[in-house]
Amino acid sequence: MMSSVTRAWLWLIGLSLASTGLAASGFAGPAFVLAVLGLAGAKAHLILTRYLGLSAAPAWARGFDLVLALLLALFAVLALAA
Amino acid sequence: MTTEARPGLPGELMMWVLIMSELAVFSAGLVAFLAVRLTDPAGFAEAQTHLHRTGAAANTLVLVTSGWLAALATRAAEAGRPGRVRALLVPAILLGGVFLVLKYSEYADLFAQGIGTETHAFYTFSFLLTGFHAAHVLAGMVLLAVVGWTAAPRAVETGAAFWHMVDLVWVLLFPVVYLL
Repeated sequence: MMSSVTRAWLWLIGLSLASTGLAASGFAGPAFVLAVLGLAGAKAHLILTRYLGLSAAPAWARGFDLVLALLLALFAVLALAA
Repeated sequence: MTTEARPGLPGELMMWVLIMSELAVFSAGLVAFLAVRLTDPAGFAEAQTHLHRTGAAANTLVLVTSGWLAALATRAAEAGRPGRVRALLVPAILLGGVFLVLKYSEYADLFAQGIGTETHAFYTFSFLLTGFHAAHVLAGMVLLAVVGWTAAPRAVETGAAFWHMVDLVWVLLFPVVYLL
């Protein structure tokens, strides 16, 4: 049976390819910014929970997710304001 | 002196302090990058076209794969399999080397075009952020080699945690510097 770490790796590969595909497609504008940052947030969540093991510490995982969401929201505001 | 793990937080507390500190530093740098971009969006967009976007995308795959090998090595160390730990960490370290080669190729190309840190604010930030990150990749490779030598579970877990931090920073840095 595939381990959760290996499943996470496959997801990370898929999400990374999705980011690259979006950029290569020439897609632009606010939807592009939000999609790319959303994909980055999903990758960061997987690294924190599966690679770094925070899935075993849900309270810490929620805390990191909250900070990450606020950070990515700030990135989005600044990127969209440009 | 060994720092005991905090209940609920896996691994060494000091490594988590380091991870949070590094995330804070890189986050501040990325926020500053995006804030300065507001002063010259067209200049930043033009400057970004000189970066190796494909190489950077490949480097994302390289780092997440290396992180996967390091995570598997942590589990192998916990299972008391030092041979498998080393068999996993050697390719993880080599992938770190691939990352640095691709990064060097980008820098060399930029320098060949006469582009440096003073050329534009975009490059000041991008060289600073990606260069500082590359230094962490190099440090992580050395750390993985050291913990792979001992193959002690706690050491491997700590070394891998540093490596995952490097991975985590990259997945935040890549879209901001290369895609947006």
